Amino acid sequence: MRIKIRAFASFREILGREMLVEIESGSRVSDLINHLCKIKPDLRRALFSDTGELRDYFIIMLNRRRLDLPKDLEAAISDNDEVAIFPPVAGG
Amino acid sequence: MISDSEIDLEELLNRSMKPDAGAVVAFVGVVRADPGVRALEVEAYEEAALEELRRIKDEAIGRFGVSSVDVAHRKGRLSLGEVIVVVVCASAHRKEAFQACEYVIEELKRRVPIWKKELTEEGERWVRGDAC
Repeated sequence: MRIKIRAFASFREILGREMLVEIESGSRVSDLINHLCKIKPDLRRALFSDTGELRDYFIIMLNRRRLDLPKDLEAAISDNDEVAIFPPVAGG
Repeated sequence: MISDSEIDLEELLNRSMKPDAGAVVAFVGVVRADPGVRALEVEAYEEAALEELRRIKDEAIGRFGVSSVDVAHRKGRLSLGEVIVVVVCASAHRKEAFQACEYVIEELKRRVPIWKKELTEEGERWVRGDAC
């Protein structure tokens, strides 16, 4: 299946603004993150500490709905979903 | 509204001026000349930001009973002293308009997917967001 990835701010500088990723049907958010970390090793350093713990300084949206991490790492993703990754917001 | 071009403050205020609104309160956010900062680059996840702004606007109307809420936010490159965000709330009476205006700007800063990068004399740095 095909997933649209969008990245913003510091994560855009790692992943690029937008890309399409092919991933196995039935994959979960965690599978997608692992896949992205393989393509872009800098992403692993941004998402995980040296000891492999998930950092809390990022947000993931699935089809513009914010995921509750780490719980929603097991959320299923479907063909044509849009997944956005970005740091905490700082507008205004 | 999230726009590349300058925010027309007068037009935004005029839009809220209606005979039933005895109070119009505006918050105007300006790019501050912090030490070393030369300009600001603003980035938005536009579709998600507009959805979240709509939710915040509906919440403000529901909570405070204001008659209108308008928000304009800039994106792209901004110079020092330029207007980055405007919130205008209109209400029959001033108390509700002040409360709604504060609510909207605080929630915007906490929830709306927009980011700022400071362009400084030494290089560039993302402004760190607080809420996660």
